[in-house]
Amino acid sequence: MNINLASQLTRRDCFANLGMGFASLALGAMLQRDGYAKDVSGQTPTGQPHFRPKAKNVIWLFMNGGVSHMESFDPKPMLTKYAGKTISETPYADTQDPKKLAIERLVVPDANGNQRNKLYPLQIGFKKHGESGIEISDWFPHIAKQVDKLALVRSMWTTDSNHGAQTQFHSGRHQNDGSFPTLGAWVHYGLGSLNDNLPQFISIGKREYWNKRDGHYLGPSHDAVPLKIDPKNPLSFGQPGRPFSQESQSIGQNLLKQLNNLRSEDYPNDPTLEARIASYELAYRMQKSVPDVVDFSKETEATKSLYGLDQPHSKDFGMKLLATRRLIEKGVRFVQIQHGAGGAGAWDAHGALKKNHTKNALAVDQPIGGLLKDLDQRGLLDETLVLFATEFGRTPGSQGSTGRDHHIFGFTVWMAGGGLKRGVVHGATDEIGFHATENRHYVTDIHATIMKQLGLDPRKLEIPGHKRLDIDFGHSINEIIA
Amino acid sequence: MSKKLLPFLLIAFAYCASGLSSQINAADKHPDYLKQIKPILRKGCYSCHGSLKQEGDLRLDTVTLMIKGGAITRGKVDESPLLERVSAKDIDERMPPEHEGEPFSAEQISLIRSWIKEGALAPEDEKPESDPKDHWAFKPIIRPSVEKLAWGTNAIDSFIAKKHKEHGLVPQAEASRLILIRRLYIDLIGMPPSPEEISEFENDQTSGAYGKIVKRLLDDPRYGERWGRHWMDIWRYSDWWGLGQQLRKSQKHIWHWRDWIVESLNDNMPYDEMVRLMLAADELYPNDSNKIRATGYLARNYFLFNRPQWMEETVEHVSKGFLGLTMNCAKCHDHKYDPIKHSDFYKLRAFFEPYHVRLDLVPGELDFKKDGIPRIFDGLPDTPTYRYVRGDEKNPDKSTLIKPGFPEFLAFKELNIKPVSLPVESWQPERRPGILELYEKNAGDKVEAAEKKLLKALQKLIAARKQKLEAVDQTKPKPVTKPKTETIAKTKTEAVTKKKPETAKPETAKPVAKQDPLQEAIDKAQQELIVAEYELDLARVEQDSVKKRVVALRAKWSGAKQKSERKKIEAAIRAEREVTLAISRIALAKVELKLLTAKGKKDKIQKELKKAEDELKKSEKNIAAPIGKDDSFTTLAGARWTPTRFFNSTKDDPTVKFPKQSTGRRTELAKWITDRRNPLTARVAVNHIWTRHMGKPFVPSIFDFGRNGDSPTHPELLDWLASELIESGWNMKHLHQLIVNSSVYRMGSSVAQRSSNLSKDSENKYWWRRVPIRIESQVVRDSILTQAGTLDLTMGGPPVIPNKQATSKRRGLYFFHSNNARNLFLTTFDEALVKSCYRRDQSIVPQQALALSNSKLVLDSKKQIAERLSKGTASDLEFIQKSFTVMLGIKANQQEIDSSLKAMKEWRKIPDSTENDARAHFIWVLINHNDFVTLR
Repeated sequence: MNINLASQLTRRDCFANLGMGFASLALGAMLQRDGYAKDVSGQTPTGQPHFRPKAKNVIWLFMNGGVSHMESFDPKPMLTKYAGKTISETPYADTQDPKKLAIERLVVPDANGNQRNKLYPLQIGFKKHGESGIEISDWFPHIAKQVDKLALVRSMWTTDSNHGAQTQFHSGRHQNDGSFPTLGAWVHYGLGSLNDNLPQFISIGKREYWNKRDGHYLGPSHDAVPLKIDPKNPLSFGQPGRPFSQESQSIGQNLLKQLNNLRSEDYPNDPTLEARIASYELAYRMQKSVPDVVDFSKETEATKSLYGLDQPHSKDFGMKLLATRRLIEKGVRFVQIQHGAGGAGAWDAHGALKKNHTKNALAVDQPIGGLLKDLDQRGLLDETLVLFATEFGRTPGSQGSTGRDHHIFGFTVWMAGGGLKRGVVHGATDEIGFHATENRHYVTDIHATIMKQLGLDPRKLEIPGHKRLDIDFGHSINEIIA
Repeated sequence: MSKKLLPFLLIAFAYCASGLSSQINAADKHPDYLKQIKPILRKGCYSCHGSLKQEGDLRLDTVTLMIKGGAITRGKVDESPLLERVSAKDIDERMPPEHEGEPFSAEQISLIRSWIKEGALAPEDEKPESDPKDHWAFKPIIRPSVEKLAWGTNAIDSFIAKKHKEHGLVPQAEASRLILIRRLYIDLIGMPPSPEEISEFENDQTSGAYGKIVKRLLDDPRYGERWGRHWMDIWRYSDWWGLGQQLRKSQKHIWHWRDWIVESLNDNMPYDEMVRLMLAADELYPNDSNKIRATGYLARNYFLFNRPQWMEETVEHVSKGFLGLTMNCAKCHDHKYDPIKHSDFYKLRAFFEPYHVRLDLVPGELDFKKDGIPRIFDGLPDTPTYRYVRGDEKNPDKSTLIKPGFPEFLAFKELNIKPVSLPVESWQPERRPGILELYEKNAGDKVEAAEKKLLKALQKLIAARKQKLEAVDQTKPKPVTKPKTETIAKTKTEAVTKKKPETAKPETAKPVAKQDPLQEAIDKAQQELIVAEYELDLARVEQDSVKKRVVALRAKWSGAKQKSERKKIEAAIRAEREVTLAISRIALAKVELKLLTAKGKKDKIQKELKKAEDELKKSEKNIAAPIGKDDSFTTLAGARWTPTRFFNSTKDDPTVKFPKQSTGRRTELAKWITDRRNPLTARVAVNHIWTRHMGKPFVPSIFDFGRNGDSPTHPELLDWLASELIESGWNMKHLHQLIVNSSVYRMGSSVAQRSSNLSKDSENKYWWRRVPIRIESQVVRDSILTQAGTLDLTMGGPPVIPNKQATSKRRGLYFFHSNNARNLFLTTFDEALVKSCYRRDQSIVPQQALALSNSKLVLDSKKQIAERLSKGTASDLEFIQKSFTVMLGIKANQQEIDSSLKAMKEWRKIPDSTENDARAHFIWVLINHNDFVTLR
């Protein structure tokens, strides 16, 4: 394409053809810069999926701190049976085989992340649920009701037993390996916009200090846009910071458009100018659309209570998830929601696990159960993939007398919707929840699965100079794909 | 369209092994060698079987060489071992070998098979890969001769004009004076010119007017701030970050390094000297604290937890930033494109292996939390460097010790590392002038403060007693006089007699069953007075201890006779024991106070009380204990090592001491980098500088001048400028002057009237027009404040912390900026990524529109700007014209004026709107105008 051609493209064409929404603006700007072409044939995102997608949107629920897999989605009664015994005194002594433990990397030193050998009994009961009969702990009754929608992966493993593993889950690489784009950033980079009035990659909830960015080498325009659940001020700079009447603004906006357009006389064929004008139109639309997303006045009381908005313990997270559903409804591509960030993460129950998990489960269970039900009843679950994840599990053994330590050798995440099978369990840990034993999956296998459902081939999104390894791409978990 | 777009995004990113797959169509029965086969082989085989290396004496970079080496036989698939090796199932047989590259896909193998079968056709004139030594950037810089000027102002233009001629391009005309002055101001000092400066330049039609401004701006201290920020991008400036208050990355007070950068640029310190100081000022000028600030460059790489990562970052960015080499690609294996061996990465690391970070006290501040200069020193000179097998830090090859060294192809000078003996002030930093005096002064200040506190406590007690007295007999007239000195003295004596805990205890334990709040207040004040009394005691014994330690230290340093020295040391030890005792007393008094005021259960406090009493007994015992032969006192520190936690413990690693000698390794490295024979350093520096003036580099792969990087668009000009830089004594202002005075710099950026160029060079590779620049984040903000007249030009000092930034009017470069703490407004305009920012992004996203439309910064400034520009402009017409000129560098045309006037009228129609409102709204429009954030 030469510059003449660029000027023939209208902005609409530009966005429609690229289908990239905000990303395309960032790109448009760069037209002005030197076109030093590396051989990138076949590498450039067109905004179109590489093959037919089964899902359009992603909801990325992340529980910071490390949820105990045994006390949530992978119950292990043997812990109770052998409670108080050291692992070597039980029939599961072979879990301590140093070879099996060797996947753990050099750790960032802190007092945690050590193996705990004395088995700690389950702190909560569990039951079979739904037609699938999948066992879920009693801390998650609302999610349990939706169990027939879930695809559980009970055989996750990772390599670093400190909370830097959070970035590992988001990006495939541990915090200490450097900074790598998160999955949401890759999706934003690779796929088009579904709705030009809203940012396409949104982050809700406080983020850990090591996890504040997404785009990294893809560029800051692929960072998630933070959204606050506050109709008055949901978006940074979303409303005038000083009183400024709507009428005055619109006179100004009209004039601005005229003046910018008039510049094209002196500067014909200037794609930057065009992109700038388009960015203002988008911004005005965003400014109008975003507050509406977090305005729940039109939601029924039934919906509100479905998300737990009427309960003090679940109201906060419920509002986040209700806003998420509204975003998804309006076609936002990727919403990541953090629960319990701050310090090491709310779920980090080194002590008083029972109290900790009771409280956290109360905060998230009803909203998540409600979200699944609501998405499904609105027919959105088929094309929306929901992920429930955490950086690692917790040790089968006790830390202190009431807690569990970080555990990388086996843990659980689950997904729902987005063209995945419903009501299935994939993979397993051994009987004390120590090692993932069947169908083991590294964290990027989740990425690969999501990318596949979105119709993306991550290998086609490679950036020169940033060679990605096999482990970064992962392998999709085809067994759970419907 | 998209194919053209992507490279822009990519430029800013690292080039390493690029792993690009070429378009393959397996269905194609007649594979094309150049298009389909050669790219596969280049990617998979050349790094070991090409000009870089010839493993097994085999080269595969031409078909002739393939046949000669026996890798293929034309038309005979069975007699082509290449095919066999790339399709081998056995991992030991397969090519590329494990860890050396991805195996060929079935499609690729089938293409190669078909191609061999069809006779391995290839162009006859196929040339082998050139020798890495002949790579342009690895060859010495030779000053090219300057041809006679065909166009332009100075030598730069002669090189530019040559390319114009070659490609039949007509250069764009010089930009308007209005644009030129805006360009110069923003480029050189990062702020737009004032209305007065604009009209002065417009009225000065003499030929020297432009040059005069250039000179003036280069002498302006704001130049150092503007270009300082550029170099801070390249050199990875970052304020500290970590978890909560725990320092994990970079350094506290790293701003000293930033100030050094700004000051050095303003002093026009030569580039080579700046590089030397950043790498080795501690060895080159061990007694010059000002120069040692430069080593913040290396202190910034500090990482609390992991040494290999710290070292890796250091090697990576020293090579990328100064040399344009991607040494990091050799961390795990030999470099795939450049003649850099796996061990070369570790040889470079070995230069840095001994260094650690410490904070040096600065005059006037003893609290390292508040200030101190972060600097480096060779703390562990004997730490060995090993090569990590495949880059795995868990797998060092301990069979071979890696010594510092240069890659062979750049070994233009002998390695000559000489250890540096450091002056005593360097390894005993408390001996620097003023440090001991500062400790003494500080101790005196503390005594004074404690005295004041005691007086306050006394007054409080007196007041409490007075209240009680008044309550007891309210009929009596109220005494209004201040407490007399006798009263104070008496009370004080009382308090002091309660010094012994034994006496204090019964009183505190006394049940306060009566619940008399006035009596309670007296009891509390009494106890507080005791604490204050103890604190004064502590301050006094601390002062005494400091004094005695100063005496002892001076005796030690003066080489006093053993006996008298030991006596002084013993006195210092005793004084310190007194301090410990005084601390125990306070601790006890505080627990007692707590007990007195506590409500409810007191079991826990009783326990604490017991502990404090035991502690006190211990201290008392210690006072009387004899002093051992090897006992010593705590020295008065002049610097503090920044602790690391490399080992899996929750504690700081063992203290790294300050050795008397530095290894001299970094000095030698710095000399090698800044040696005029180094072919890379000056070229890389010129490319950095040119890019920032011109908006576009000579070598787009800005940190990769290697064989996988890009070729320069103007190799001769690059070399000429590199020679100029070196021969002028690495004089950066000389280079700035040359560039901004050139005609290529002064061209207009429009394509208007030059459409014939578009078909010949649509990408403007040959500079037939200027490239517009979306101004950097800091410049956007600074420009708004400049126009509003509110910019605070205070230079230097600690950064503005995040929660003060909303109200601060300091320049953007002074804002606290780390990986985690970023200013939202600046971030919106592509703030520098601290981890690596060799070039800023220039995105256009709606968030920028929102920030310029809605931020308080803009909405507050629009009124102030309107007021400033209203001065001397009676009519709206004049105001509009002036605003266009000053805000955008545009002479408004009729249509622009008409539209603006119309909008003004509409604003005025809004009820309650004032004259000023309409003008402020108009300014708001201009801040949002494309040309406000664009350097035309």
